[in-house]
Amino acid sequence: MIEFKNIHKAFGSNEVLKGINCKIPTGSVTVIIGPSGSGKTTLLRAVNFLEKADRGEIILDDIHINVEKASKADIHKIRQRTAMVFQMYNLFKNKTALENIMEGLLVVKKIPKPKAQETALYFLEKVGLGDKANAYPSELSGGQQQRIGIARALALNPDVILFDEPTSSLDQELIGEVLEVMKKVAQEVNCTLVVVTHEISFAREVADNIIFMDNGVIVEEGPPEEILNNPKEERTKQFLSRYISLTEYNI
Amino acid sequence: MNDILEFSFMVETFFEMLKFIPITLFLTLTSMLLASIIGLVSAVILLRNVRILKQIVTAYLLLGRAIPTMVMLYLLYFGLPILLMAFTDKTGIATGYQHVPPMVFAILGLTLHTGAYLTEIFRAALLSVDKGQMEAALSIGMTWFQGLYRIVFRQAAVFAMPLFANEFLGLIKSTSIVFTITVVELLGGAKIACAENYRYLETYLVVALMYWGISIVFEKFFLITERKLGFFKKGVNL
Repeated sequence: MIEFKNIHKAFGSNEVLKGINCKIPTGSVTVIIGPSGSGKTTLLRAVNFLEKADRGEIILDDIHINVEKASKADIHKIRQRTAMVFQMYNLFKNKTALENIMEGLLVVKKIPKPKAQETALYFLEKVGLGDKANAYPSELSGGQQQRIGIARALALNPDVILFDEPTSSLDQELIGEVLEVMKKVAQEVNCTLVVVTHEISFAREVADNIIFMDNGVIVEEGPPEEILNNPKEERTKQFLSRYISLTEYNI
Repeated sequence: MNDILEFSFMVETFFEMLKFIPITLFLTLTSMLLASIIGLVSAVILLRNVRILKQIVTAYLLLGRAIPTMVMLYLLYFGLPILLMAFTDKTGIATGYQHVPPMVFAILGLTLHTGAYLTEIFRAALLSVDKGQMEAALSIGMTWFQGLYRIVFRQAAVFAMPLFANEFLGLIKSTSIVFTITVVELLGGAKIACAENYRYLETYLVVALMYWGISIVFEKFFLITERKLGFFKKGVNL
């Protein structure tokens, strides 16, 4: 379970998170939606302290961290129990696909090399890229890179995987292959998934829980059918109408 | 012996001068190695914003890049002993600087000078690596230093290599001023030879050729290293 208690974060005078309170149950798929600049990504990055919130509490199962007093050891501990998939993939450019996945196993988990390689290959197959084991990121398409990013996160067997707009820098065709992998992950893996995305249809299909954020606060949260079909708040309706009309327009 | 250029003499001088090349190389390689360590540590201190140490590094950069290498050598070789003498007078502790060979002062001077430049080269190189690389390293649970060493550093090396090579080639030539503090290296050896034979043109031509030769060897070496380090890049070479 991840719990946020009164998380605040400002960049200079720009207050990005204005007191976030919420609980994400263990093993659930939680999708955070909302307009750009609403603080979704910042909230996600606050979990593993890539963005250090100004105040509040972050709880991951048995780890309770008061953000203001967070020690290096606390931060390191929470990072070892989480993994992240980035918008820009952020694969290690000097490592092959296989080495990218092995890196965390070798260095962080201290798994011996043959075992790490075996695990890495297993996850590479899982995302359908077994034949690309020795390719460097510069030799792979965006969609392939992102699938390896997902494999890298999965291989660590973390309690939580944080997806930061994993499809936002891909074209329509490649979005499909990445979402397919993510759906598979959601079904097969029992770690908690937190996904920031603009893919409403993905949220509808896969999410157990949707959080709608706007302007640094959580406007509304609940199961997908409730949030997407019968939003209570005016702001949610307004936001969704854009997406739904857009989808209709595409058809 | 009345020709302007006597080739047989040049050949003779060439073999005579060969024995000074190891000294020049020793000066260059030792200074570069020490300067690289200083540069790397300083660059990391600047990037990590370490308190107090950061101020020290900033002051070092300011001085190291502002003072001519020769002035630095003079300060160390002629100036430092005066301070040490005063120190011995006051405290009675003998520093034994008289027994330190001038070579040590030469290496110290060259190291301090080069280290300042390398700090900036390494800092620029580390900054050139996309921030996402370190974020990814941290996100999978690596420590900052693991991320630096295993990921960022290796990518930064490709960027740093041409600048590092430049600095190295510059340093080879900078070693030629250490004869002013009595270290006899290639140029120093040539000056002594000239004092005996008065054949300035031949002797200095030979020395120039030798510097040229050394530089070419290292230039090629660095070019190959740069390509090797950039193994993970593909596409058009700019």
